[in-house]
Amino acid sequence: MFEPQGRVHGPLYFHREVVTLTLLTGLAAVLFIGVTALSQLYHAQQGALADRWAARGTSDLNAGRFMQAAGDFRTALRYSRDSYSSELGLAEALIGEKRIPEAETYLIALWEQQPENGVVNRSLARIAAGKGDTRNALRYYHNAIYAHWTGDPERERRSTRWELIKYLLSTKATAPAQSELISLAAEVGDDPAQQVEMGRYFLKVQDGDHALTAFRLRLQGSPHDAEALAGAGTAAFEMGNYELAEGYLRSAINEAPGDRDSAALLETTEQVLRLDPFRRQISDAERDQAVEGAFEVAGGRLKSCLAAANSQQTAEAPETLEQAWDKLKPQVTDRSLRRNQDIVNQSMNLAFAIEREAGTRCGAGTPADAALLLISKLHEGS
Amino acid sequence: MASKPDEQDAISAEAQVSPLIEDGQTGPAPAERPGHLAALRVIFQEERFFLILSVFIGVFSGLAVVCFRFSIDWCRIYLLGTGTQLSPARLFLAPTLAGLVIAVLVIHVFPLARGSGVNQTKAALYIFNGYIPFRTAVGKFITSALAIGSGFSLGPEDPSLQIGACIASAIGSRMKLSRDRMRLIAPVGAAAGLAAAFNAPISAVLFVIEEVIGRWTAGILGSVVLSAISSVVVTRWFLGSESMFRIPPVEMRRPSELIAYAVLGIIGGVASVAFAGGITYLRPRFKAMAPWTHYVQPAVAGLLIGLIGYLGAPQVMGAGYEYMDEAIHGQFTWQFLAILAGLKILATLLSFVSGTPGGMFAPTLFIGAMLGAAVGGAEHAILPHIAFSPGTYALVGMGVLFAGFLRAPMTSVFMVLEVSGNYSIILPVIVANTFAYVIARALQPAAIFDVLTRQDGLELPSMEEQREENVLRVEDAMRPPGNTLVNGDDSVEHLARLIEATDGDALLVRLKPLGWSNVSREEINAWLEEGKASEPVGSLLPVGSMFKDRQVPSLHPDHPLDMSLRYVDRWKIVPVVNRANLRELEGVITQRDVLDRYRDFGGE
Repeated sequence: MFEPQGRVHGPLYFHREVVTLTLLTGLAAVLFIGVTALSQLYHAQQGALADRWAARGTSDLNAGRFMQAAGDFRTALRYSRDSYSSELGLAEALIGEKRIPEAETYLIALWEQQPENGVVNRSLARIAAGKGDTRNALRYYHNAIYAHWTGDPERERRSTRWELIKYLLSTKATAPAQSELISLAAEVGDDPAQQVEMGRYFLKVQDGDHALTAFRLRLQGSPHDAEALAGAGTAAFEMGNYELAEGYLRSAINEAPGDRDSAALLETTEQVLRLDPFRRQISDAERDQAVEGAFEVAGGRLKSCLAAANSQQTAEAPETLEQAWDKLKPQVTDRSLRRNQDIVNQSMNLAFAIEREAGTRCGAGTPADAALLLISKLHEGS
Repeated sequence: MASKPDEQDAISAEAQVSPLIEDGQTGPAPAERPGHLAALRVIFQEERFFLILSVFIGVFSGLAVVCFRFSIDWCRIYLLGTGTQLSPARLFLAPTLAGLVIAVLVIHVFPLARGSGVNQTKAALYIFNGYIPFRTAVGKFITSALAIGSGFSLGPEDPSLQIGACIASAIGSRMKLSRDRMRLIAPVGAAAGLAAAFNAPISAVLFVIEEVIGRWTAGILGSVVLSAISSVVVTRWFLGSESMFRIPPVEMRRPSELIAYAVLGIIGGVASVAFAGGITYLRPRFKAMAPWTHYVQPAVAGLLIGLIGYLGAPQVMGAGYEYMDEAIHGQFTWQFLAILAGLKILATLLSFVSGTPGGMFAPTLFIGAMLGAAVGGAEHAILPHIAFSPGTYALVGMGVLFAGFLRAPMTSVFMVLEVSGNYSIILPVIVANTFAYVIARALQPAAIFDVLTRQDGLELPSMEEQREENVLRVEDAMRPPGNTLVNGDDSVEHLARLIEATDGDALLVRLKPLGWSNVSREEINAWLEEGKASEPVGSLLPVGSMFKDRQVPSLHPDHPLDMSLRYVDRWKIVPVVNRANLRELEGVITQRDVLDRYRDFGGE
């Protein structure tokens, strides 16, 4: 094309340049078409191989053959390097193999590609939770709750929130767990199927009010659901609503006579109702009877605790309480109680003091002792 | 003809201004002279055409490399199977039989396809005027695809580089380009091939400049960049634009963590020397074996590589990019990574010294990735407070081996940045690469490509030595003007006295405003005989266009001394002036000064 300088001819030169470039362009176009055809063939084959290995990986993963699944997904990634689903499958297989650090590396890479992916966020949250990294666990769980999910997003979100609640409870973070439960209750709505579980977790975070609501929702549809009845009784008990608790617990035992927890709780409830003189709408006789009963229970508790304490050569205070109890005992009669309201208060205050002290020194007592402690908590502030 | 002093003022300032030599230029260009305009047009046209041609070279190289990649993958699928768990029969048979076929092809059909391809491209540039037979590209394509696809521990990058260079050479030959252009066209194609293989245009350009051409010039840089970019565009069109590796951003908690990377650099430097030393030692011995063994050497190498795969490390087979990705994702323990690095060195040594065609880039990156992640893992095991990301260490390790083994320090840094698309890693890469390069340079003075060319009986310029050699400058040879300098208004008589006092043959005349000229002893004597002893010398010099022949160009102290050679032969004394003040004479230089300096430099 370019000849020695002496033989240069301008127009001819220009002409040849244009012809050459035209020919090169034509050749490039032809080659481009040829390589495009090859490329389609290549990518179709690679895609088919990737799909085949990914399907095999998914099948192995579902069957719990994690090692094989990891190998399958790795092969799939060889043919489709950017396949998000294969990479995610590999990460899940690695988690199954308990190769958590390796899985985490893949998951972080996936998270960077799609920070809004629910599965990735939940997996990262589980890994962080397993490592005790609460900050990241909460971050990823919250991401997962508000993330994008395929299939049934609502179900996935609810299940993720459940996981978060369980994780929070495992870390004794009851207040955040209660908040999450309240949010979950709003998502669940009136679905009776989930109310028992909801109520049970509300009880765990000591939110009797929401627990009772949940169990009642369940009972609307299934009035004889023993678990819901027992839960509602427990919730009412926690709230201090012993009359209500007694009803639910009694029904629960009727439905499931072998429910010992409910039976124990019912016994305590009955004792509370029997020994609480401050209940409203009770007669004077009932009140006097409750005071006398409480005073006797406390006395019994004092004696048994003192005997145990003497055997260990400790406890001076019970002796003082015993003197006080002996001193007040003659005044705790129907007549005195009816004449002097102060004796009611003195008797009950002494009974509460005895129970607290005995609880500290001698551990748990009878249901009646537990009932007195509950009554003290219920009324002492007022 | 003499002119009056006032006539001297009439000489145009333009005519009196001494031409200054700009860097890389040669003073008054021949093309400026009448009769050279056509030639100038040709140069401009050829330059423009060359740039357009570079784009086509890039496109064709890109297409070829895409096909090459397809071929490697197809070979692997049909020879080794589609899964990662390879059957023992395939593990042993595929590389062994492929080795036999490759040996026959290389010995009988494509003898120039042997080796990695980088040196062949350099040889084309320096020995064969840019000519590489197109058959070499075909041979390289077939044999390398077969070798890599069947599990030989070699990579596709260097063959791609050579295929690109072959395509460029073929196009240049068809176009009947001038010899200068033909010499440069092979590197242009090489850059295109490498850029397409790596999907990294900057690294390819740097590598070709750093390792093949060895110098930066605007003319070639434009073509290299254009071809590299166009080839990458083509490759991305067909293969996608994702970075080769993806790693999370690097977080340096403390600057002291750089020490951990420096340790990686030191270990990588030593590993590079071991790797290069193995090739240096084994290659000539394999070549010197009986000719019949050359038919079985690749097969035996293939069999041994199959054995390594069978014994539990199939990761070392082929280019191994997918396993580098797994190392980046922390899929291996640091102990296994260290074993893989060692086995890969062994497998690559076997593959390369047996004469199997294929590249060294991918194995180098593989070894670096495994070594990097292994060193990072070990450091983390010993010092748990060190932040450890296997991806980061693997990537830095790649750069380390690239710097230590291939001895391309600048390319090594940009390559890591480009293949990862992650620029947060630059500081650890620079630190580690520097250590690796310095250690490798100290322990093995000759770079691997230089060793290979010398083993092949070629004497190509060593780019590393070129980079490091001292360049003599004008300031190294110039001397103070002393009494060789006169002004234009000094009398001839004064000049005669001065020249009698010196042993030189000429004086340097400073003319207003910025011109310089020489006056010889003979001229002074002639003027004295003509009775012009009292006349100012400036008035005796020719005026107007005739003065141009007497005008002496000036140099600057930092000009290469080579440049002064173009002037000291024609002019007896050449002025050296300050760049900031062209009136300030810093010294003068003569042919004797230049030759003396070169003689002394040779002794140094």
